[in-house]
Amino acid sequence: MTISPQRVVVIGYGPVGARLVEGLLGPVADKRMTLTVVGAERSDAYNRVLLAEYAVGRSARHRLDTTDTAAARMAGAHIRLGEAAVRIDRRRQLVHLDSGDELPYDQLVFATGARANIPTIDGLQRSRRDKFSAPTSAARLDEGAKPLPHGVIALRDLHDAAVLLKAVSQKQRLVVLGAGVLGMELALAAAEQGAKVVAVYHGDIPMARNLDRGAGRVLAAAARGAGVSMASHSRAESILFRYDTEGEQVFDALVCADGKQIPGDLLVLSCGVSARTELAAAAGLTVSAGIVVDEKLQAWNDPAVFAIGDCAHIVAQNTHSGGQRISGAPSGLIGPGWKQADWLAIQLGRMLDDGASTITPDPGTGTPMPPERQHVVMLKAEGIDVVSGGDHSPELWDEGHEVTQWADPARGSCVKMVTQNGVLTGFVSAGMPRLGAELTLLFESSGELPRDRSSLLQLDSTAGGEVSTTDPFAPGATVCWCNGVTASTIMHAVAAGQNSVDFVGKATRAGTGCGGCKGRIAEIIARTSAEIPTSRLVSSLETNEDCSLAESSVPTSADAESQQETPGDEPSFTSPRYENVDHKHPTSTDVTASSNRPTRMTIVATSQRR
Amino acid sequence: MPEGTASHCPYCALQCAMSLTGGPAGRAGSVTIEGRMFPTNRGGLCKKGWTAAELLDAGDRIVHPLLKQPDGTFEETAWSDALDFIAARLRDSRERFGADSVAVFGGGGLTNEKAYQLGKFARLALGTTRIDYNGRFCMSSAAAAGNRAFGLDRGLPFPVEDLDQAETIVLFGSNVAETMPPFIAHLAGARQAGGLIVVDPRRSSTARLTDDGGGMHVQPAPGTDLALLLGLTHIVIAEGLANTDYVESRTTGFEALRVSTNAWWPERVQATTGVPVAQLRQFARRLANGAGTYILTGRGVEQHVDGTDTATAAINLALVLGLPGSEHSGYGTMTGQGNGQGGREHGQKCDQLPGYRKITDPDARAHVAKVWGVHPSLIPGPGVPAVELLAELGKPGKVRCLLVHGSNVVVSAPDVTAVKAGLQSLDLLIVCDFFFSETARFADVILPVTQWAEEEGTMTSLEGRVLRRRRALHPPLDVRNELWILRELALRLNAPSTYSTSPAEVFDELARASAGGIADYSGLSHDLLDTGIAAFWPFTPGSAGTPRLFRDRFAHADGRARLVAVKAHHGDGGPLAGNTLTLITGRLLEHYQSGAQTRRVPELQDARPNARLQIHPATADRLGIVADGPVTITNARGAVHAHAEITSSIRHDTVFLPFHYADEESANLLTESAVDPISAMPEFKRTIVSVQAGGSNQ
Repeated sequence: MTISPQRVVVIGYGPVGARLVEGLLGPVADKRMTLTVVGAERSDAYNRVLLAEYAVGRSARHRLDTTDTAAARMAGAHIRLGEAAVRIDRRRQLVHLDSGDELPYDQLVFATGARANIPTIDGLQRSRRDKFSAPTSAARLDEGAKPLPHGVIALRDLHDAAVLLKAVSQKQRLVVLGAGVLGMELALAAAEQGAKVVAVYHGDIPMARNLDRGAGRVLAAAARGAGVSMASHSRAESILFRYDTEGEQVFDALVCADGKQIPGDLLVLSCGVSARTELAAAAGLTVSAGIVVDEKLQAWNDPAVFAIGDCAHIVAQNTHSGGQRISGAPSGLIGPGWKQADWLAIQLGRMLDDGASTITPDPGTGTPMPPERQHVVMLKAEGIDVVSGGDHSPELWDEGHEVTQWADPARGSCVKMVTQNGVLTGFVSAGMPRLGAELTLLFESSGELPRDRSSLLQLDSTAGGEVSTTDPFAPGATVCWCNGVTASTIMHAVAAGQNSVDFVGKATRAGTGCGGCKGRIAEIIARTSAEIPTSRLVSSLETNEDCSLAESSVPTSADAESQQETPGDEPSFTSPRYENVDHKHPTSTDVTASSNRPTRMTIVATSQRR
Repeated sequence: MPEGTASHCPYCALQCAMSLTGGPAGRAGSVTIEGRMFPTNRGGLCKKGWTAAELLDAGDRIVHPLLKQPDGTFEETAWSDALDFIAARLRDSRERFGADSVAVFGGGGLTNEKAYQLGKFARLALGTTRIDYNGRFCMSSAAAAGNRAFGLDRGLPFPVEDLDQAETIVLFGSNVAETMPPFIAHLAGARQAGGLIVVDPRRSSTARLTDDGGGMHVQPAPGTDLALLLGLTHIVIAEGLANTDYVESRTTGFEALRVSTNAWWPERVQATTGVPVAQLRQFARRLANGAGTYILTGRGVEQHVDGTDTATAAINLALVLGLPGSEHSGYGTMTGQGNGQGGREHGQKCDQLPGYRKITDPDARAHVAKVWGVHPSLIPGPGVPAVELLAELGKPGKVRCLLVHGSNVVVSAPDVTAVKAGLQSLDLLIVCDFFFSETARFADVILPVTQWAEEEGTMTSLEGRVLRRRRALHPPLDVRNELWILRELALRLNAPSTYSTSPAEVFDELARASAGGIADYSGLSHDLLDTGIAAFWPFTPGSAGTPRLFRDRFAHADGRARLVAVKAHHGDGGPLAGNTLTLITGRLLEHYQSGAQTRRVPELQDARPNARLQIHPATADRLGIVADGPVTITNARGAVHAHAEITSSIRHDTVFLPFHYADEESANLLTESAVDPISAMPEFKRTIVSVQAGGSNQ
C-alpha cells in the first residue's frame, strides 16, 4: 500500500512560518509530505525584531534574512508569495486564495502574525481595519477603508521601514506615538542616528506595561540623555495636516487632549499589535486575542488546524470555564513563536511516522511543548539596559510574596525581584546589565534565586561578582600559580636567607613555571627583608640548616601546604634561565583588587511575609 | 648547566622541555629534573613536571607481570607464561566468537611509535575493527570540526610563540592556568594589551588572568557557548567587522552562515547566555581590531553533545574575521594529553589509518597495506568510537576480550558504573600500566611497562611539533616496553607483517605509512630529530616542515575553508531549583587526567588529596553545606562523595567537580554516555545532579 503524502498548508511566511517550513523540509524532501506556504508579502521571510534597526539605518537589509527560501523550494516546498488566503472551507479542508486557486490540506497551520494597531484619533478613523471582515487581497491585507495618510506610518513591514529610513537619513522630526518597548527602541535608535525624536505617551513612565515606576524613571532619564524628548501624560486626540505641492494631506502635528501640539515630519504609530484572526473567525474557529489553540497548538474546535506565533492564543481548553472571556493573549515575541514552530514541526513529522491524525505529545520520545508562561521583555538600545518579566506588581511589604528591591536613582539603576518559594515570578531591572541578564536566565528556566539576594547585586560590581578583600601579599595568597607557592612560603624562605628571586626559586620553586610572578617575589623579598627582626632571621636561619622548616614557624593553618613546598632532604632543584621577567603577577585564587560590596546602595529592603 | 638527557615532560600536550640527570647507569632516585630552554616552556615547569621523577621508583609500581588468581588476588608471573596465556585466550576468542570479540583501547599519552604499532597490531595481529582510545574524550570534537572546516586537524596550526605578539587572545573554555601553567607566559603580551578574553562559566584561575586590566572574563551559562559564538559572529557581520576579502577569496558557505547567525541578535544571545549585550559588542569589536587576534578553544566548549558544532562555530567566527592562516592571527584548539596530537594521527582511532588517513579510503588502505607488506583486504574496516566500544564490553555477540594501553577508563570515561560492569563481564582484560590503576584492578593480566624516562620515542605536541622523548635510565629489570609486548604477542598469534621493537625503526615505518597522508611524517627520523630541528608536520623529505599551516591554502581540494552553518539547540534543561544543580567537570593544576600518576606523587596528592565540590556560598548556605564539610552529589547514574569548597567563582546554580579521583569520589559516576553525533565526544560539562550536605555514612 502506498500512502499518499500528507498535505500541509501554512498561511503566513513571516519568521515563525519560515521556521516551521525549515523544520518540515525533511519529510518534504522525503516526499512524505507536501508543503504549501502562502505569504502576502512578496519578499522572503525576514526578522521583524530587527526592523527598527534597519529602518533607522543601523543595519543592512540582509541582516533581517532569517531563512533560505531558495533552499526550501529546492527541497520541494511550494512557497507562494504575494498571495493571500481569503477563505477556509474546513468541511472540505480547502484554502481559497485571492487568485482563485484552492489548496487542499490535511493539516492547516495559521502563522498569520499580527498587524499594527491604529489608534482612535481624529484623522485616522478611516484607516482602521474592521477586524471582522475577511481579507480580499494580499496587498490590502492590513488596510482599512483608506490607507494611512502621508507622513503617518506604523512600522510593521519593509515598506514602512523604507519611509522611516528616508526620514531618519534626512534627520527629520519624528513623533513616535506610544512608548512601549517597540516605540522606545525606535525612538532611541532614530535619535542615535540623528533624527529629532519626540516620544508621546499617556502615563507617567514609558514601557508602563513592562516596567515599574523606578525602572520607568530610569529609562525616561536615559532616553532624555540620549536626546529623545519624552512627552509624558500626553493623550493623542487628533492629527493636524498640511498640504504638499500636489494638494495631498501630509502629517503636520499631533494634537493632545490638553491642547498641546507636537509638530513633526513623520508620525510613527507604535500602539501595539493585534493578531490577524479574521480569516480564522470567518471559518468559524474560536478567536479571542488570537486564534485560540490548546497547548498542543491545535484549534479548540478543529484538530486539523493549528496556529503558531503572533496569531496564536494558547489556552488549555479544560482550564476555561464557559461564559467567561478567554484569558491571556499571544506574547508578541519571536522566541516563543520559534519554539512553537520547532515543536509543531517535530509533532507533524511524528504524526507521519505514526500515521496518527492528532498530536499526542509524548514526553518519553519528544520534548513536550513547554508550558506557555509570561515572557521577558528586553529593550534593545545601546547603553540602556532595561529588562522585565512576569508579574512584578507586588510591593515590598505585600502579603504572600517575597519582594526584594534595590534602587540607586542618582546612578540610574534599580532592580526588583518577586519570588515564590525562591523561584522568580516577576522582575524588573534597569541599569544593571549583568543582573538583568542573569535574572532573565533564571526566570526563563524557573531557576531558584540564591537565598542571599545581595549576592546577585555583586554581578554588576566592577570585579565581576567576586567578593574578596584579600591582600595580594597576605600570607595565604598564592604567589606562584604554576607551583602553588604561597606568600608565606616565600616569606619563610626569605627569612631563611634566600634573598634573591633565583634563590627563592631554588628553595620553593616559586617563579619556576611561567615566570610571571617574579616581580611579586622580588617585592616579597624586599618587604620581608625590611620587616624581619634580626633575631627572628637568625633563628629562622638556624632552623633552616637542616633544610626544613620547624612546624612552629608556620604561622597559620592555611599555610600547612608550605610544608610540602619546601624541599626536604633533596634540594635538587636548579633554577631555570629566563629571558623575560614579567612584572605582572600571574594570578591566584584568593587575590583580587578590592572589595566589591556595593557601596552606593541607597535603598535595600527584603520582605518575607506570608 | 649539568649535562643531562634532553627530553620532555610526561604529562600534558605543552610537552615542556626538561633535562634529566642521573641514569642510565643507575636506577632512579638519582634522576633529577631541570627545566630546559625551549620555545614552549622557556625553561619553566609546573608542579607536576618538577615532581614527575618521583613516580619512577614509587613503591607501588608494578614491576612484574601479574596474573589474577581465582581468589581475586594477583600473583607475579613470568613474561613468557603471561604472554602465552594471553595469546591462547585471544586466539581462542577470535576462533569462537570472531575477530571483533577482541578490542583494544589506547591512549593519548602513548608515544607516536606505540600508538602506531598498537593500531597496526589491532588490525593485523588481532584482525579487529574494535580499536579506539581515550582521545575520544578529549580532542575528538575539535578534530572533527577542524577536519570539516580546514580539511586538516592540527591543534595549533602555528608555533606557540606566535601568541607572544598577539594583542588579543580568546580562550574559549580552556583553563590553561591549571592544565598547562607554563603556557600562560605566552599570554603576557595580550594581557599587557588588555586583550586576554576568557570565556568560562566559572571564574577559573585562567579567568582571573583577565583582572587588573588584563582583559575580559565572559561568563555564559553552562551549555550556551554555541549561542554565544553565533551571537558574536552575528555582531561581526552586522557591524561590518567581517573580513570580506578573505571570506570571498578563502572560504565557501558564507551566505548560509550569514543567514544562520541572523537569528542570534545580541539581545537574544543575552537572554540565552546571560552575557550582557554591551559585553558581547565589546568582545566582537575587540576581535576585529586587527592587531593580532587568536581564538583558541578547549574542552569547555568541545566536551558537549554539540561539541563539534560549537567548535565549528568558533572556527566560523575566526574565518569570518579572516584569522586562520593569516600573518599574525589564527585559530587553534588546545590539545590536552601529552601525545593527544600524535595519538590521533596514526591509527588508534577506529576509522583511521596512519597519517590521518581514512580507513574507508581504498587508496589509503592500499598505501598502508603496501608498507605493512600485506594485502589490503587484511585490513579490517572501521570500528566504533570509544563510548560505543565501552558499551559493547561483555554484551552478547560483542566484545569479550579487551587490551587497555595507557588509559584508565574506570575514572576517565563517562558513566563509569556502566564501564565497570562491562569490564567485569569480559572474558579477558589485559591492562598495560606501571601502576595498579583503578582499571587494572579489573584486569586478568597486568603487564608492567616503561615510564617516560625509561624509553625512546617521539611525541607530537599541541603545536604539531614532533619531539624526541629520550631514555635517561634503565627500567626495572622485569619491566618491558609496549613495542616488545606487541611484538611478542604478534609472534604468538602468527600475525602477518613485522613488529620491530626499536622505536627508531618503528618511527621509520610510521613515516613511510604516513607519506602522502594529511599528517605526513615521511621526511622525519629519530636521527633527524636528534639534530634539534623544529619539526612541524606535514614534513616531507627534503622539506623544512610546516610551522605555519594554511598560509596560502586550506587542505580541502579547492584550497578553501568551509564555513558550515550550525544551529544551537538550546535545550530547556528543566528548572534548577531546590538541590538540583548543573555539574561541570574539569581539572586541577596538581593532577593529570585520571590521576593514576599524580595521585601517587605525595606533594601533589597532599595539596589536593580529595575531590572537592565547588559550590556558591548562597547555595551552600541554603543546602546547609559548610566549608570543607561532606557533600553527596547524586543522580540516576550514581553518587559521589566529596567535600565542599565554597567559592563565589561559580554560578549559584552550578557546581564543579574535578574528575581526577577514583571510587566514590569519581565525577564520572555522574556523567552520561550521551555523545556528539559527529565526534562521539561525551557530554562532560553539563550534567544535572542533586547536591546535599552529608557524607557516605548518612
